[in-house]
Amino acid sequence: MSWLVVARKDFEDSIRSRWLQGLTALFVGLVALIAVVSLRLSTGGETISTNALLGAGFMGLLSGTLVPLIALVIAYSAVTGERESGSLKLLLSLPHSRADVVFGKVAGRSAALSTAIIVGFVVPAVILAAGPLSLDIVSYVGYTLLVSLLVSVFVAIAVGWSAAAPSQRIALGGAIGLYFLFVPFWDIIQFPLQIAISSLPEWVPVSGTAISNALFLLNPASAFQGLTNALLQGQLFAGETAGLQLSALSMLLFWLLAAPLAGLFVFQRRDL
Amino acid sequence: MSAIQLSSVTKRFDDVEAVRNLDLTVESGEIYGFLGPNGAGKSTTINMLLDFVRPTEGTITVLGEPVEAAEAELRERIGVLPEGFDVYSRLTGRKHIEFAIDSKKADDDPDEILDRVGLTDAADRAAGGYSKGMAQRLALGMALVGEPELLILDEPSTGLDPGGAKEMREIVEAEAARGATVFFSSHVLGQVEAVCDRVGILHEGELVTEDSIEGLRSASDSEETLILTVDDATDDDLDPVRRLEGVSGAAVEGSMVTVSCESNAKTDVISTLGEGGTEIRDIETESTSLEELFLSYTDGEGVVEKDGRGSTPAEPPAASAPEGGQ
Repeated sequence: MSWLVVARKDFEDSIRSRWLQGLTALFVGLVALIAVVSLRLSTGGETISTNALLGAGFMGLLSGTLVPLIALVIAYSAVTGERESGSLKLLLSLPHSRADVVFGKVAGRSAALSTAIIVGFVVPAVILAAGPLSLDIVSYVGYTLLVSLLVSVFVAIAVGWSAAAPSQRIALGGAIGLYFLFVPFWDIIQFPLQIAISSLPEWVPVSGTAISNALFLLNPASAFQGLTNALLQGQLFAGETAGLQLSALSMLLFWLLAAPLAGLFVFQRRDL
Repeated sequence: MSAIQLSSVTKRFDDVEAVRNLDLTVESGEIYGFLGPNGAGKSTTINMLLDFVRPTEGTITVLGEPVEAAEAELRERIGVLPEGFDVYSRLTGRKHIEFAIDSKKADDDPDEILDRVGLTDAADRAAGGYSKGMAQRLALGMALVGEPELLILDEPSTGLDPGGAKEMREIVEAEAARGATVFFSSHVLGQVEAVCDRVGILHEGELVTEDSIEGLRSASDSEETLILTVDDATDDDLDPVRRLEGVSGAAVEGSMVTVSCESNAKTDVISTLGEGGTEIRDIETESTSLEELFLSYTDGEGVVEKDGRGSTPAEPPAASAPEGGQ
């Protein structure tokens, strides 16, 4: 299990990064801020549940837009950065294959970022639960795990891209591009796309809903949104969207594997 | 079984041929010094041994396994000190060694390794604060983990002070005494001279000579450098001289002609130049040192190769009975 050795080293390296430590602090701060603001906005003195907190628009914004950004920032240089500095030579001088390096890095960096996220969500929740916040543990834990899955998927995409990119500059450019594609752009094209789909001619063999669902699922950020909404409504893998939710989860797992594999395919054929 | 075998290996980067038709064999148990000036193709060759870079043509086997098809496990049997590497700046020296131990599934004691490479005092500091020499020691320590059968060291003395370079040589000798094969590159003859069983000299991507140190030394002993002051000579005037038996190189700079040749070829050189119409005003001879011989093979300072630069190299200077290694 050579990739596990790489993953552990990458985890130990990543958690010592100032970036990651700063981001963890930022997360703790933002989650706490959202909680406090939500409490203030609620009709005075009442307790609010964590479900309401997580369902708040701010929180969706935090998870859906900031988490992918952080993952891309932390992971875009995973392979290119090491290649440019030369530490990749030290790594590949040891008995690790290039596949071990790519998957080890996905695992190590996902674990490091998930740790940051878990700390970021748990610390404020535990403190505020002593006060006016009523903690729904199951959905809170579920939500945190889904955020960790989302961050891992974006880490996998970034590491895959990093393995394929010929230079650090291109890796950075691509990471920015991927972010804009998956986060703001996807939302912008939704509306015109819906209109286009609603006026599909008869001969197209698939229904408009199928196309729109597929597009919705293809983007890990929106697949995540679908799953968390269902979770907070107590409808995870149940109700009429159960099938769609399963597809969303499968799509996230698909990205988790396919992106590093695609990057590895290019990386295998390249001179260091 | 040979530890390293390269057969007709060529590596082209875009339109540059970094290594050209290289045949090289390192036998099990020997210390092989891979010499050449910077840019000769040494690191490219070593990067190909490690599958960092793939040959355009030719085949490479390391410890009997074809490199391109080999599993990563092959590197459990190899210790590598790569060139142009960097450490993980946030991790301590000890973590690096522990990482190498875990990676190679070895059971070395990290403290023992750190002590061997002289990093005991710095072991618990982040490696980002290490000097170049300390990073070099750390990578050597990682290479020593797991008692590898083969050590591949690319310019191991980079960044080391003379004391450090001496320790490096002692480690190389101790590893060879244990039975390991050592293949290391250097652009400094002195580092290779003291420890190597055999030396290969690479120049512009080609192996120009391969011999034992004794063989090279006897070649240099029988060589002399003839320094002639002439009225006027061009490089073309030297061509007949280069074709002479026993002449390994000739060069002209202003009114100074230097010819590297065997002692008994001196009169031929002088008469050939005279016949060509060059007037000789003064004659001096110097014995050729090993260093000068190395230079005559490589950047040609004072003496250029017999056939001129860039073409197929001629035989190494005569009187070198190859021995050792084979």
